[in-house]
Amino acid sequence: MRVVISFDIDGTLEVGDPPGPVTLEMVRRARDLGCIIGSASDRSISAQQALWQRHNIEVHFTSLKHKLADVKAAFEAEWYVHTGDRELDRQFALEAGFDFIWMDAGAKEPWIAKRNGSEPA
Amino acid sequence: MPSATQPAPASMYRRTEGLGIWEHKGKVAAVGIGHSPVDRRWDGKPETSVGAYAIVALRNAMKDAGITADQVDGLVMDASTTTGAEWPAGRPLPEEFVKAFKPGANHVDGISSLSTEWIIANMPELAHVKYTQYGPGCMSNCVCVAAQAVGDGKTKVCLVLKAWDNLEGRYGQGGENAEDTIAGRAAFSNPWGPTGPYLWAHMFNEYTKKYGGNHDQMANFVLNETRNGLLFPEGFWAQHRPEVLTKEDYLSSRWIVKPANLYDCDIPITVAVAYVFTTPERAKDMKQKPVYIWNTTATNPRNRGIIQTLDEGQASTDFTGRKLYEGAGIKPSDLSFENMYDGYTLFHQFFLEGLRFAGVQRGEALDFYETADLTIEGPHPVSPSGGNRGSGRTRIWMHTDCIQQIQGRAGARQITGVKPEIGVSGGPMPTSGNFLIWSATPN
Repeated sequence: MRVVISFDIDGTLEVGDPPGPVTLEMVRRARDLGCIIGSASDRSISAQQALWQRHNIEVHFTSLKHKLADVKAAFEAEWYVHTGDRELDRQFALEAGFDFIWMDAGAKEPWIAKRNGSEPA
Repeated sequence: MPSATQPAPASMYRRTEGLGIWEHKGKVAAVGIGHSPVDRRWDGKPETSVGAYAIVALRNAMKDAGITADQVDGLVMDASTTTGAEWPAGRPLPEEFVKAFKPGANHVDGISSLSTEWIIANMPELAHVKYTQYGPGCMSNCVCVAAQAVGDGKTKVCLVLKAWDNLEGRYGQGGENAEDTIAGRAAFSNPWGPTGPYLWAHMFNEYTKKYGGNHDQMANFVLNETRNGLLFPEGFWAQHRPEVLTKEDYLSSRWIVKPANLYDCDIPITVAVAYVFTTPERAKDMKQKPVYIWNTTATNPRNRGIIQTLDEGQASTDFTGRKLYEGAGIKPSDLSFENMYDGYTLFHQFFLEGLRFAGVQRGEALDFYETADLTIEGPHPVSPSGGNRGSGRTRIWMHTDCIQQIQGRAGARQITGVKPEIGVSGGPMPTSGNFLIWSATPN
């Protein structure tokens, strides 16, 4: 199953402000698993790109949080999911046709099971 | 235990027109500046608390001025420090913090408030302080009160302090906003959501309806502020997230309250800032060049509704401009630069027009932003401090910048397009606040 995962940064990633529960190791694992990964944040695109570069992670996309629909249009997949820490993340994700997962649930890496063709526990 | 220090009495503020030249024009000077480190949030350690940072800032200011604590006889400060989040009622204070500091007048002093008692208890070197006063709300109030106090002879060497804490938790979602009921005037506004930038987005809308123009025209101003902020080594963005903002970044940012977007707002931080104010005579023996205060004014009009209208905002800033010029004995063209408040960016043009800065008349600011050179290299530097947008939510950058620019100590941010001789700063709101004129010479 082709999977697109969008990570919010602040309050979601361990390198966010404030730090969240999703580690960069989890992000790398998702990428290694073949998922299409990137960030959708309120940080500017250049700031997001700099963050990923700083941590040596090559992402497929960087997007503004309210422009997730553009990400959906750019990548063909069976499952689109955004993980974030605020109601706004949920609102923008659902409006763009993404599923939404709160950051704590995101830290359990439900996309691994999805990617392997089974439903997450 | 309530603090024995009182908010400044009404008699210390110059509120009306017709008062003539300020009686202390050129007889009060800012000399030393002290900044603490700046953090996004408090990490719970005693040494990074707002109290600890206040002490750092005060000591840095004295060191910068080249004075010892025993020369200080006055302290003017604001007791409030919160940027939005409150220390929860009933939550015990961190044990390490309690061990590290003596208590003040308020049990959360040093964490989410400050009192003069807390400062003096934890800075035993300030044993000669005889005069204490609060300037409630922000540094703009404190500097005006301190200037008047020095001019009136209540203090000869006065420390001026403003500190901000940013505790864990969402901005503006504590305090009365978290209660089941809301008392007072806010009962007519807060339940309907018009907090934060709502008022200024509304007023900006009214402004563009009246004069034409649009939000895109704000871009140069916001980019200029961001650039100046990144040149402010004491600021949050320069220290922690040196991110350059492009016009596209600004224009594509999401709306918070349309037409106010994310970059029209500021970021709450933890920091403390202090200055040394003194008489010109005492300043002669100090380390830095004195920056003279030519006038102060306070504007606090009574509004007709629960939010201010465009007419009220414009009347208020016109009033402020007239009073500033009258008390300083100057005209708009005498200003070398302006550093009025910017937190939210959408209201800065009301100040600009109220001052008639660079000849900008009512309804012309957006065109001015779009076509004029606003930079520190240009003929009319606008917000060379970068303000709250450029360095984080403190309401102090504008004052530090005025002092540094006139002293020639603004570093990479130093104004080069004009000789920075007379500046203006103040806030927090176009509709109400405290403002002052700074000068390189006493008269």
